[in-house]
Amino acid sequence: MSTTATDRGTDSGTVVLELNDVHTYYGAIHALKGVTLDVRAGEIVTLIGANGAGKSTTLRSINGLNHARKGAIRFSGRDITGAAPHSIVKMGIAQSPEGRRLFPRMSVYENLEMGAFQRKDRSNFKGDLDRVFQLFPRLAERRQQKAGTLSGGEQQMCAIGRALMARPKLLLLDEPSMGLAPIFVEKIFEIIVEINQQGTPVLLVEQNALMALDVANRGYVLETGRIALQGEAKDLRQNERVRQTYLGET
Amino acid sequence: MLALWLLINLVKDPTEFFSVAVIGLTNGSVYALIALGYTLVYGILQLINFAHGDVFSLGGLLSATVILDAFDLTAASSAVAIVIGVAVSLLIAVAFSSALNTTVELVGYRRLRNAPRLAPLITAVGMSFILQNVGLYFWGPNYTSTDNLIPNSAAFSIGGVDFQWDNLVVILLTMPLLLALTWLVTSTRQGKAMRATSQDPEAAAMMGINVNRTISFTFALAGGLAGAAGLLYVLQFTTIRFDQGFQLGLIAFTAAVLGGIGNLAGAVLGAVIIGLIEAFNEGLEWHAAGSDWTRSIVFGLLIAILVFRPEGLLGERTPEGA
Ligand SMILES: Nc1ncnc2c1ncn2[C@@H]1O[C@H](COP(=O)(O)OP(=O)(O)OP(=O)(O)O)[C@@H](O)[C@H]1O
Ligand SMILES: [Mg+2]
Repeated sequence: MSTTATDRGTDSGTVVLELNDVHTYYGAIHALKGVTLDVRAGEIVTLIGANGAGKSTTLRSINGLNHARKGAIRFSGRDITGAAPHSIVKMGIAQSPEGRRLFPRMSVYENLEMGAFQRKDRSNFKGDLDRVFQLFPRLAERRQQKAGTLSGGEQQMCAIGRALMARPKLLLLDEPSMGLAPIFVEKIFEIIVEINQQGTPVLLVEQNALMALDVANRGYVLETGRIALQGEAKDLRQNERVRQTYLGET
Repeated sequence: MLALWLLINLVKDPTEFFSVAVIGLTNGSVYALIALGYTLVYGILQLINFAHGDVFSLGGLLSATVILDAFDLTAASSAVAIVIGVAVSLLIAVAFSSALNTTVELVGYRRLRNAPRLAPLITAVGMSFILQNVGLYFWGPNYTSTDNLIPNSAAFSIGGVDFQWDNLVVILLTMPLLLALTWLVTSTRQGKAMRATSQDPEAAAMMGINVNRTISFTFALAGGLAGAAGLLYVLQFTTIRFDQGFQLGLIAFTAAVLGGIGNLAGAVLGAVIIGLIEAFNEGLEWHAAGSDWTRSIVFGLLIAILVFRPEGLLGERTPEGA
């Protein structure tokens, strides 16, 4: 990985996204027990943690699919805690969700088109499409293929491409490296850095903590619905507890 | 065997055969408009909207009332008066049935969206009874009948086969509706939102689609088609009653399942097939089983389809369901 957090320095830009003591439930299950975090302009922030820690739930609280029952979420200074998912997208938050969630019976092209659904500036559609095809040439070859018939890796590219088509002001990625061959994992992380350098802040949820901490500026470690650790990615990378639990080092 | 039977009938009396086919196509058109409503709603909510047939009846009853009371149309009215009166009743029936079906969803199904499947299904049955009783309350237990506004006389004739005005009008009004629907679903922004929502509502929301509004729109569309079917039914049969939608709804639902529920072309195909089966069985001279057997044949076919091709004629075999 050529570019790391240290190269780019930790930009202490304006706060884009802010979660303050967020509690989220699934029925009676208390999944998030007071999560506080923020993402600033220009940053890649990673959220790591074990299975079931609440990483996806954090993203679902942000995107409005599971509203926080307590606490507040602010995006670009506006309170979005109880906002409907579609209006949150309209404000500029796009995502590649856990499990990709492509529209299986739509073509790759139509999926990308859906990514741009809420945008008013139809004119830039073509340019953004070219940009996605440039990042993922494979998608260009498969543009007419039904998304449900793509390979796992291709689906992941399509999901990320679809999120980019929204021209988001904040990009949420839930395990973008999931199910990819190691060579593709490298490639995906390079692309995440590239997207970020083009000006989009990223909140990155990852199982692959090593890679995530490599590209991120800052990180949060989530344990059973609470933030257990937080800090500069390079510091977390050296942290004893993180190394043992999440990086599998002894 | 079936093909042979049809062929023999065709050879014995081609004129009769094609005349009967035209009738089948006419009935099939009305079924298709209703069947599309079942399939549209099923596609987006995986819910069988049992109240749909009753939206059709109320649309039909209302258009009969408009024809009778607002326009005073009789068979003796001038052609211009009839065309205007029918066009206005069509608009009113469509608008009313759209609004009604949307309201049914809003009141009956929306809160149950995340409930177990059975809950909205039972509510749908309840909604059906409520709407029937609304019809009974406002229109009474008897048939509401209009004059025969569209003459049964032949509009034109090809090789001895008469194309009657009433059949022609039904078919000619249905075609553009089907084309418009196809265009709407495949090519417009709203149609894409519908398809995305039917494939994955959460992912659709994550694309910025207003899922509630898309579902409302789908119910409005389905209701509008049922309203149009209601008016066409009144034009063709001149008479309608509060419980008519129960029967027709059942047939249309069968058509939707036959074609592959959730599949628009399938609903039309299933409806035309059932319309033709009915007409041939009841209209052909040589060795037809006759109208006593129509229902048995239609449902026998349905059972056979469900056993040998559960996804229906045009349905896709997809892991996540139709
Ligand atoms: N739909 C649901 N209903 C009930 N409980 C849920 C639901 N979704 C998640 N949970 C619970 O909430 C907790 C947090 O789940 P979440 O999916 O956020 O974890 P995660 O950190 O994303 O895990 P993974 O790494 O496996 O994706 C878990 O205990 C999980 O069992
Ligand atoms: Mg997860």
